[in-house]
Amino acid sequence: MVNNEFLEPFEQMLGEVFPPAAVRAIEAGASDTGGGEAAMQAVEESGFLDALVAEDAGGAGLAIADVAPLWMALGRHAVPAPVGQTMIERAAGDSDTDKRANANALLRAALIAGAAGRLLDMAVAYANERVQFGKPIGKQQALQQNLAVMAQDVVAVRLAVELAASKGWPDMAQAATAKSVAAEAAPRIANTAHAVFGAIGISAEHDLGLYTRAIHRWRLEGGAETLWSRQLGAAVLASTQPSVDWVRETLF
Amino acid sequence: MRGLAEESVADMSLAQRSRSWSGFDAEFSRKLGQAGLLGLTLPTEYGGGGRGPFARFVVVEELLAAGAPVAAHWIADRQSAPLILNFGTEAQRQKYIPAICRGELLFCIGMSEPGSGSDLASVRTRAERTDEGWRLNGQKIWTTNSVHSDYMIALVRTSGTSDDRHRGLSQIIVDLKAPGVDIRPITDLAGDAHFSEVFFDNVELAEDALIGEEGGGWQQVVAELAFERSGPERIYSSIVLFDAWLAHLRGAGRSDPATTALVGGFMAKLAALRAMSLACTGQLAAGESPVVEASVVKDLGTAFEQALPLAIGDDLAAYPDEPVSEELQAALTFVTHIAPSFSLRGGTREILRGIIARGLGLR
Repeated sequence: MVNNEFLEPFEQMLGEVFPPAAVRAIEAGASDTGGGEAAMQAVEESGFLDALVAEDAGGAGLAIADVAPLWMALGRHAVPAPVGQTMIERAAGDSDTDKRANANALLRAALIAGAAGRLLDMAVAYANERVQFGKPIGKQQALQQNLAVMAQDVVAVRLAVELAASKGWPDMAQAATAKSVAAEAAPRIANTAHAVFGAIGISAEHDLGLYTRAIHRWRLEGGAETLWSRQLGAAVLASTQPSVDWVRETLF
Repeated sequence: MRGLAEESVADMSLAQRSRSWSGFDAEFSRKLGQAGLLGLTLPTEYGGGGRGPFARFVVVEELLAAGAPVAAHWIADRQSAPLILNFGTEAQRQKYIPAICRGELLFCIGMSEPGSGSDLASVRTRAERTDEGWRLNGQKIWTTNSVHSDYMIALVRTSGTSDDRHRGLSQIIVDLKAPGVDIRPITDLAGDAHFSEVFFDNVELAEDALIGEEGGGWQQVVAELAFERSGPERIYSSIVLFDAWLAHLRGAGRSDPATTALVGGFMAKLAALRAMSLACTGQLAAGESPVVEASVVKDLGTAFEQALPLAIGDDLAAYPDEPVSEELQAALTFVTHIAPSFSLRGGTREILRGIIARGLGLR
């Protein structure tokens, strides 16, 4: 998953197709830009929408573990178009709704992981740049502690996603693990980013809102932490195994 | 492995098993040594298992999940032996490591002093050169298991003053049976006495008491702390209680949405933390020293350990008509009271976040 040959061209394509202005226009449902349709057409031409489709069916035949980094890249660019959803739809086959729901939950968790990483990068860079009281605000211990917590959340979400993506199409427990961890951490991550940026981050012209709006949307889509934790908890309580045995056998 | 762990806890109460890696049983540690389950990361030529950090992870996880009494060998196996392997002379390796792997030589760590907690570089305990070796004077405190240990690896000043900070610090292996060493146990708020004050009054030590380079103590300690902070013991301190609560819920047939979501949320966090600890283990296996990553594991892991007793207490209190066993109640009380120590021992939460902030480029 670390050396993913598809990641670089994919990110480059996203940078071209989904610059902040395009994200804003799509979010606003601007009909004068053709909404997200033109952008989706550009993604279609890149071939990435068939990433999960089997090779003998004309796709790239990638595994979920290979695609998860691409999903995180979508989050890093706050992509508002259904790129990941379309990948899932094209590969999920006929009518397996659980398979779709689980994959979509993992997708949202991966999107959150990507946006969270971008928010951390932005917040750290700004904290080193913004001067108050005669020094960069990042030199203040209060901010350092908050940003350290944010970094921990970002790492936890990413590793939960990588874990859940490591064994092919996710089952309920894998999807729930990723979505529960990501959804629970998402508001903390967004709030810390906003706290660092202050008022400018609230303004419509600033890009911060692209990522924090997206993170809240992805948290709720298809169920947030309570729904997925409840499903996971029901499976745990239905088994007789102690916690470490259960986690090892079910998720690793 | 599992058989040994289960056998070791067969006669222990739930509250005793909840002591996790504070539980002391020298005989059990020797049994693990005989079974080849200590020193797994160490080379076979020194009596180790020659297996690496992942094998150790498997064994440690199994022991912690059972609530086995691992304190006797814990520190020697985790960090003293790797430290001696990395920085010691061949003679020091031969002297200590094989006996550690047999579970016969018990170590403790001398870092904190009455005036040096988080500000570790301010230590004042001093070792002066003599014709025969070193003369040690000063005091350590909060030294876990020193009363049972054979040796302490102490961070001491060998030159300069406290103003020199990281310069002039060295690590010294102190024979705790040497004349002039006085150990006084300190009782904690739960009634246990796992840590102590240790006084050094003109303790004469041989030349080979110095471990590693004179003046290189700080760098050695930083590398050592990556071992200390990234392991499963920073996730599993409340795991015996967690499992007892799960057993209680299953027995009571409880399936209310709030509790079920609570269980699932904790399990998801446990999975993410285990993945993170394994990632650090991978870095250790690759010969790296994941200082920042270990701080992330420890801070998030101890937050998980501390959240568990509070949430479990609240959950049980929400069902006052549901009988709770005395055992579970005692374990819950113990873990609730001792949990604040989880984010003190081995580096406080605030210090760890400072290390992470430095890793982010903020300091």
